[in-house]
Amino acid sequence: MQVSPLANPLATVAQLETSGSQIDGIPRHLENSIRFAGAQLTQAAGILLRLPQEVIAQALVVFMRFLVGPEGGSLAEFDVQQVSAASLYTITKLSPYPKSPRSIINVFAYLSTLGTPTPTPDQLQQGKAEQYYVSEGTYQSRRLVLSDTEQRILKALGFNVHVSLPYTLGITYLQALDVFSHPRASDLAKRATAYLNTALLSPQMLYLTHQPGSLATATIYLAAKEVGIKLPEVEWWEVFDTDREELGFLVVGMLSVGSFAEEERAKWQGRKVPMTVDELEAEMKREDSGE
Amino acid sequence: MWTARLELPTRKFIYGHRAIGIPPDAVPAHSTPPQLRIANELTSASAILFDPLHTNRPPPSKLRPTHAGTLSIANRTDSSISVRNLGGGHTAPFPPTMDNRRHPSSFQQLEKLGEGTYATVFKGRNRQTGELVALKEIHLDSEEGTPSTAIREISLMKELKHENIVLLHDVIHTENKLMLVFEYMDKDLKKYMDVRGDRGALDPPTIKSFMYHLLRGIAFCHENRVLHRDLKPQNLLINTRGVLKLADFGLARAFGIPVNTFSNEVVTLWYRAPDVLLGSRTYSTSIDIWSAGCIMAEMYTGRPLFPGTTNEDQLQKIFRLMGTPSERSWPGISQFPEYKANFPVYATQDLRLILPQIDQVGLSLLNSMLQLRPEMRISAATALNHPWFNDLPQRQQQHAQAMAAAQAQAQQAQMGGYQVPQGAY
Repeated sequence: MQVSPLANPLATVAQLETSGSQIDGIPRHLENSIRFAGAQLTQAAGILLRLPQEVIAQALVVFMRFLVGPEGGSLAEFDVQQVSAASLYTITKLSPYPKSPRSIINVFAYLSTLGTPTPTPDQLQQGKAEQYYVSEGTYQSRRLVLSDTEQRILKALGFNVHVSLPYTLGITYLQALDVFSHPRASDLAKRATAYLNTALLSPQMLYLTHQPGSLATATIYLAAKEVGIKLPEVEWWEVFDTDREELGFLVVGMLSVGSFAEEERAKWQGRKVPMTVDELEAEMKREDSGE
Repeated sequence: MWTARLELPTRKFIYGHRAIGIPPDAVPAHSTPPQLRIANELTSASAILFDPLHTNRPPPSKLRPTHAGTLSIANRTDSSISVRNLGGGHTAPFPPTMDNRRHPSSFQQLEKLGEGTYATVFKGRNRQTGELVALKEIHLDSEEGTPSTAIREISLMKELKHENIVLLHDVIHTENKLMLVFEYMDKDLKKYMDVRGDRGALDPPTIKSFMYHLLRGIAFCHENRVLHRDLKPQNLLINTRGVLKLADFGLARAFGIPVNTFSNEVVTLWYRAPDVLLGSRTYSTSIDIWSAGCIMAEMYTGRPLFPGTTNEDQLQKIFRLMGTPSERSWPGISQFPEYKANFPVYATQDLRLILPQIDQVGLSLLNSMLQLRPEMRISAATALNHPWFNDLPQRQQQHAQAMAAAQAQAQQAQMGGYQVPQGAY
């Protein structure tokens, strides 16, 4: 059976039930925090590398694919920032915007000095050159780690690095719904795109559990509600192969990313989410000692 | 069931050594029972493949050999170590099993078949089945990490299973090498023409058969939204039964809707479509059709149709034969980045002058493939229905089969019977 070229391989139930990290005894809440921070780091690094969002999105999906399932990469073995860097490295290599290991290593070195995966514009100005300077020796060793991690990702994914994205599909759906005659249509399209970007960071890993068509449909539904544009009274999502139940699940999932992000911010206020194996070990020790 | 126990040590091993807090005595890795020690040694393919000639790295240790994501590949032999595959609707067998049957050394490496920029191809023999294979060995210690061509080739060829596309049996991934195991093909079209042809030129029935195979392979790629982008006689392989198959998907890529911003640095110059030469970045399936047309002409003459030396020379050679296009014959042509208003103006030549051997019907197919304007070029699916192929035995056979199937179905419907379709056509 040939799978549709517009479809993505989805994670199996067995892969969603556990992960390499959980098998290694990392508590689920820490795994979620680290994966979320790693995803944001990937997004931030992608922007600094001046990559189009579709390339960043593909890297994020690869990042997520690697971290699920019993055979997935474990955060006890891989620094999350290393997984993030290698995901970007591999995906850009296949895209029309290849980035050299040098650029990627520099960007990650810079971001790691900011102490947060989501720097504000102010924080972005604070970086001190001497802090993110990468010496030749450091560069060489990080380059080795980069290509090593790349190999591990390719192997774990079985070279399934192709990612179909919902962005253009969403625009096509909006056209099919004849939305663009509406004066606020571009607001709707922007909100839908914003939801698609947010869903990339979802702790539920929505891009691994749902096909692009359903993701696009759900974001249009949400965005139309928000912008106040009336869509057909009928169950239009059925046309795009999404049933009510899936739509409902996705809408709830997408809306919950915001509150999850708020909780994460509150939880890690003034502290750094562990981005390396060593930091993770320290954090686990700290939690064990009940501090 | 020692297979599962073999899987465990790696993670626990790493885990134990990274010391996240499990006491060392809880780690089972060191207490490998003696009967498993042999099995452990057998699985360290990286150590076997490790060759200090090609690397200055220390011998491999932590990366174990694995067959990457070939769970869904047809006709593959059992994999020793399967890798997690995200199921696309069909669930992958879980957990992976592991035995020593598919160790890289279970392929006997025979003579070298060729050497490319990033890979060396060897003839190989499967030690269990005696089956011949082609082993494409890719070195990983280059500056580039895993070559993008290899990643593309594997990720696409895993999905493309068709009798006119070379079958990827398996992928063996070790620390410093990546080995792709392909079905063995006798020779490439270039060599076939040199050996079998009359000064390179093939006989018309062979050409017709090869073109049919070629177009079927292309049609299948295009149906699955894959552009090959590098079709040339060296990338078309012929087996001993005279079946032609597409190979070398290193430049191929999946195309979505719309196709844009591809780099225009693709397709070997001689088989490169004029729109690509003019700098188009929105090319699509039609670029593979142009290449197929060039290959068809080459099979008749034994010589490349447009052997250009540079981008500009290539365009000139094309225009000299097909006529220089103008804004009138090709609206929008002056907008292309590489368009020059001072292209020498040539009149369109009759292709028959350089291809006296070709028949009228074949010529009409060739002409529809060698259209300068991409949107005028015939599609692979349409080309397969061209009357030129009507007398092809293979096509008649397939036609008869389809008719018989339809008839059988009609009969069943008449009899009110219902049967689950078997072995879908």
